[in-house]
Amino acid sequence: MTARALLGLAAANVAVLVVGSCLLWGARGLRSWAEVARLSGLAYMVGVAALGVAFTLELVLGVQLGLATMAITSLVLAAAGLALARALGRPRLLGLGEDRRGLGLLAVSYVALVGVYLEALFRAGRLAPLSNFDGWAFWVPKAKAIYFFGGLDEQFFRELANPTYPPLVPALEAAAFHAMGSADAVTLHVQFWFLLTGFVAAIVGLLAPRVRAPVLWPVLLLVLVAPRVVNRALEPQADFLLDYFFALAAVLVALWLVERQPWQLALASLFLAGAMLTKREGQLLAACIVVAALAASWSTRRTAWPRLVLAGASALALALPWRIWFESRGLTGELPASGFLGLVDHLDRPWPALQSVVDALLDTGLWLFAIPLALASVVLALAGGARILPAYAALVYCLSAAGFVWVLWSFTELELPYEQDEGVNLLVRLCGSLVVVSAGLVPLLLDAAWRGSDAVE
Amino acid sequence: MAFCVAMSLVVGLVYFAKAVDKLGTDASANADANDDDRALAGGNSLGVAQEALIQARGLVPERGAYRLVLGPDATNIGQFARYFLMPRRPKADARWVLCYACDLSSLGNDVVVVWRDDAGNAVGRLPA
Repeated sequence: MTARALLGLAAANVAVLVVGSCLLWGARGLRSWAEVARLSGLAYMVGVAALGVAFTLELVLGVQLGLATMAITSLVLAAAGLALARALGRPRLLGLGEDRRGLGLLAVSYVALVGVYLEALFRAGRLAPLSNFDGWAFWVPKAKAIYFFGGLDEQFFRELANPTYPPLVPALEAAAFHAMGSADAVTLHVQFWFLLTGFVAAIVGLLAPRVRAPVLWPVLLLVLVAPRVVNRALEPQADFLLDYFFALAAVLVALWLVERQPWQLALASLFLAGAMLTKREGQLLAACIVVAALAASWSTRRTAWPRLVLAGASALALALPWRIWFESRGLTGELPASGFLGLVDHLDRPWPALQSVVDALLDTGLWLFAIPLALASVVLALAGGARILPAYAALVYCLSAAGFVWVLWSFTELELPYEQDEGVNLLVRLCGSLVVVSAGLVPLLLDAAWRGSDAVE
Repeated sequence: MAFCVAMSLVVGLVYFAKAVDKLGTDASANADANDDDRALAGGNSLGVAQEALIQARGLVPERGAYRLVLGPDATNIGQFARYFLMPRRPKADARWVLCYACDLSSLGNDVVVVWRDDAGNAVGRLPA
């Protein structure tokens, strides 16, 4: 843990922000510096997802992933964003922007609160030991293997636990090691602080023009101070990054359903690819978003469905090479041993599995009341007159919860009712995705309830 | 809807205070720990012998390989040793040996003991 490591990490994250900003400019266009500032969190997360996906593809293709490769990849992605902006005729930035209202008193108060929270989290994380089992058992060793050997080292990636887990997070951690100048597993926690900060800024930047501050900030703070988030968000493993990608994809698809801006779906597709390459359950969560969006856009299916299918297929195409890589090497463990049809041999499992999922989702000691709040928001939005957003959100929550039940049902080695210590609890990790997505979907739903419709006038 | 927002506000503020307090305590505890404690935190929960791993890391060359030999009553520290000793590779026939509460004589008479402690942990090297 040195100042050099911290400065290197900060510089690397600025580079990620620059890459993401170029891509965002290409995909969406940025009209003013005020808009650049507002969407800087989204730009950063776009950079994280794009670089993570690119690094993963390079690893699969056998490219040596050292500092030079990472720098070149960043430059190529940034150039691609700028070229896209030019090809699509995106206008140059015009000064500070016309909207100079600034933040209201309430928003400023919450910015201060969230700032204090993030500062406290940074202080706790910068010297945190790596005591989490999954972190030292396979996530960080995989990152070290990439850092030391430059690729998917056959021995380590075969012998370490969960060999079929995608290497996006280890690749990003390896990049952080390069930026820090050593495989510093202590300072690595700070990288996860950057990811959390970027996610918070992304949600605020996306929703601020649409959702009123008194609705947006209390919900966001409620999710941030949930005990599980406070205790685990900086652990160097994939769970929370998966949750951030899932949440951003879900929010962008929700916005696309009511605003139909192409960039929203394009970026959602990138985040879906990121989610699928972060953890295997990312595939399940991505499928839930796509199916929920298809159902919620039933009335406009002729125009909406081809675009949604294209977005889902593009994400899947980016995730496919990793699957080919591990299957070609005979690595297993991705799917339940009993197979898809083995479910019918275990009909005693779905009910206790459902009970376990409900218990985990409603555990106020971990999540406060984020999930009941989400359910109430769906009902309020429906009662208020909105249709698309509550239908979509309800399906995202229900399909995901059903997916978690399927996981417990089909992985028969898991004893039911599922009661593991929180630190190694698979179900708690899964449920985290629905809590984190609530930071974005609940404000949208409450805002729709307030307006009495899905659309913004 | 106002009730939902108000509840979020109240609960959020209460837990905000708790979170900041807890994070401050964590920060102090982390700052009080030394570098070895931080580096070996995962292994400490397994009860690993810190000195044995630190010695192995210092003695086995970075691009070298080691074999871990566990005594019959020793905790299986294989996973943690692999994490801690990287980029050194675990290898069944490596010349460098990390003997963890094991019987050194089981490796034959040629092993050169470079470091050992009273608990039966040792780092040694076998001839090529």
